[in-house]
Amino acid sequence: MRTNLPMIVAEELSCDWNKVKVVEADLDAKYGEQLTGGSLSTRTSYADLRKAGAAAREMLVSAAAGEWQVQRTECRAESSAVLHAPTKRTLTYGQLTERASAILPTADPPLKNPADFKLIGKPTRRTDTPQKVNGSAMFGLDVRVPGMLFASVERSPVYGGAPRSFNADEVKSAAPVRAVFELKSAHLTHQFGETSGPGSRNYSCAGVAVVADSTWAAIEARKLLKVEWNEPPAASETTASLREQMHRFASAPGAVIRSDGDFDKAHAAADKRIEAVYEVPFLAHATMEPVNCTAHVRGDSCELWAPTQIPGAARASVASALGIPPENVKVHVTFIGGGFGRRLIQDYAVEAALISRDAGAPVQVVWSREDDIRHDFYRPAACHIMEAGLDSRGRLISWRHRGSSPSIETFYNGTGISPSAAAQVDALDFPALLVPNFRLEFTVAESGMPLGYWRSVDSSGNQFALSSFFDEAAHAAGRDPLEFLLATFGPARKISLRNNETFDVGRRRAVVELAAEKSGWHKGLSRGCGRGIAASFGWGSYVAHVAEITCHAKTGAIRIDRVVCAVDCGTAINPLGVKAQMEGAINFGLAATLKSAITVEGGRIQQSNFHDYEVLRIRDAPQVVEVYIVPSTEPPGGCGEPGVPSVAPAVGNAIFAATGKRVRRLPIRPADLA
Amino acid sequence: MAITFTLNGKAQTVDVSPDMPLLWVLRDTLNMTGTKFGCGMALCGACTVHVNGEATRSCITPISSVSGKKITTIEGLSADGSHPVQKAWIEEDVPQCGYCQSGQIMSAVALLRKKPKPTDADIDDAMSGNICRCGTYQRIRKAIHRAAGSPAQKA
Repeated sequence: MRTNLPMIVAEELSCDWNKVKVVEADLDAKYGEQLTGGSLSTRTSYADLRKAGAAAREMLVSAAAGEWQVQRTECRAESSAVLHAPTKRTLTYGQLTERASAILPTADPPLKNPADFKLIGKPTRRTDTPQKVNGSAMFGLDVRVPGMLFASVERSPVYGGAPRSFNADEVKSAAPVRAVFELKSAHLTHQFGETSGPGSRNYSCAGVAVVADSTWAAIEARKLLKVEWNEPPAASETTASLREQMHRFASAPGAVIRSDGDFDKAHAAADKRIEAVYEVPFLAHATMEPVNCTAHVRGDSCELWAPTQIPGAARASVASALGIPPENVKVHVTFIGGGFGRRLIQDYAVEAALISRDAGAPVQVVWSREDDIRHDFYRPAACHIMEAGLDSRGRLISWRHRGSSPSIETFYNGTGISPSAAAQVDALDFPALLVPNFRLEFTVAESGMPLGYWRSVDSSGNQFALSSFFDEAAHAAGRDPLEFLLATFGPARKISLRNNETFDVGRRRAVVELAAEKSGWHKGLSRGCGRGIAASFGWGSYVAHVAEITCHAKTGAIRIDRVVCAVDCGTAINPLGVKAQMEGAINFGLAATLKSAITVEGGRIQQSNFHDYEVLRIRDAPQVVEVYIVPSTEPPGGCGEPGVPSVAPAVGNAIFAATGKRVRRLPIRPADLA
Repeated sequence: MAITFTLNGKAQTVDVSPDMPLLWVLRDTLNMTGTKFGCGMALCGACTVHVNGEATRSCITPISSVSGKKITTIEGLSADGSHPVQKAWIEEDVPQCGYCQSGQIMSAVALLRKKPKPTDADIDDAMSGNICRCGTYQRIRKAIHRAAGSPAQKA
């Protein structure tokens, strides 16, 4: 974002990119909504930033024309300067800024013809790398304020619980601490479209804060805490009971999210019918920078240094928790050491503010990795029961998907929302519009777990079920999975949807065909090796993956040899950045495919650190990753999330090709393949 | 307790509890925040520094154990970001969020000191203690090969 958004402005402003310096903005209403999430940053900023750059360019050209007393049509902007060709005179932007600042910007400045772009579309290295290779980049944890203290918090082991009693005096007498006190739970105000209606459960954890002169002193003193907790309703939850509940719900009719044709009739008449159950677990974000925030509360004002994806929500949540006007909360935005959705939720900002208020000093609240794994807002676990029918010619004629999972939407918005709003599936989920008799149903599962957005949200698990089961259908039909996928898509065409959006089958086909071609889909592989394909569409972008894997015959261990990715994200502002996002998404998706799971017993998270909540390491990462970008002049699509969903099914489908064994539950357990 | 060591080429004395981890002495006592906290259990490598040239997880290294030793942190790798590994990281556009990269770079520098021309397998062995959640692993491999002046290879 620090590279591709400035590139858009610099393009229209005709800047010399080497002279561009990027500065992070504090929260300020004049910038409009400041948010990085939902793969929205580029999509929602592109038109406005072009216009802003163009308006400034026109002001500079007018200023130069005025200075020279010439027609402005004789002047043009180029490389951070305005040129007057007839007299070969030049004024730099720096020389023109003062005069230009007195000129009113035009509402509709002329935009460049994309064919004339010099910067947009050019692979460009990130602007922030020099700070990130010498230790000077300032992340949330690196904030240092004069007189600051550090806090470590023992939170209720079960979400929704609170301390009944604790040994504050004992800790204070035994360790060098400044303060030990109760930290109350506070409601979190969100600005990501949530309504926080009745039944919403989005609040920060209650706990006991230990405040000391250094992080380590706070962590050490916290070990001396003895806290008695009350047992909230969530204390009865276990992973086994939730799995059973979701399976039961997905086995029965749910709220109908989409129904095309007549599934029951077509399915009953099908020549061949298949059915399967797919499951995915809760997942933690595990950003490399543990959750943290620094706050300084003085009277009825608060200054925040927040590693957040959404500073406006930090302001609103803190103002609400402190009972002060939002305009009294000043937010400095730091670098964030990974977000993936975790930093859309502002519990850490509220904690820092409440602790600073009670400690009477600037305070940095530092979560340990254990805190981070055990007190996340998790990607929901889910169960999907899939059924499909084929006709005598091996065509997919019926498809039913019944899903069940706890709902992020009810967690934030409350229980009064409609079934389709609560559903963790989408009416356009694959293969909607491509199968004549299609039915999608969903039932919300009851769970006390805190839930949140996780890179690609429900698609991260749903696409595993959809594209894996689709591969099952291809094999049941006795057809090549690539050929079956393209046949189900049908010819390139645009289908108009009711909301004025377009379902573009051509763009869907194109990424699949490109990934297949680059992978050498029809080339043979050695024994024990397999190739799988999957595709997904969302956030304005189209992605296909082909994975090549080797399965060890005796241990069932999986090695990911190669992943080929094709992406159509419309206009690729910075192809180097698009590739980086796609590469990262492959490794992020592989962690969920091969390694990670959060389980619950008695409402308590059973994992705590990277030894039992495993993520991908370099030895697990594919030796070969190739990313191909479809050339496009369509408006930019998102890139953060769309690269994740089809990774898991591409691997699962490759495993089936290699071993004949179908993966239906994540993460993949080698023992199941041995 | 006063403990003296060499930090990035200069003598440094700190008066802290002897069991305070080097990581927190660097970050909270000396305000040198380039070395990162990630897990506190030597599981993620974000806190990697060099102790007498060896890649060491500072989060589990008591300050008393480095008395009289030479510590190098990311801030001391070069005065101006010109270390070959830092340059390679910039050339290959490695970092995304960047939080783990101090540790990645310190581990890579230690690897190249031992194995100036590492294979992909050498890299995977030496770097598997450093987690990158953004998934920059393929670029890390390329950058290490670039710094070594050796072509990327397939394992």
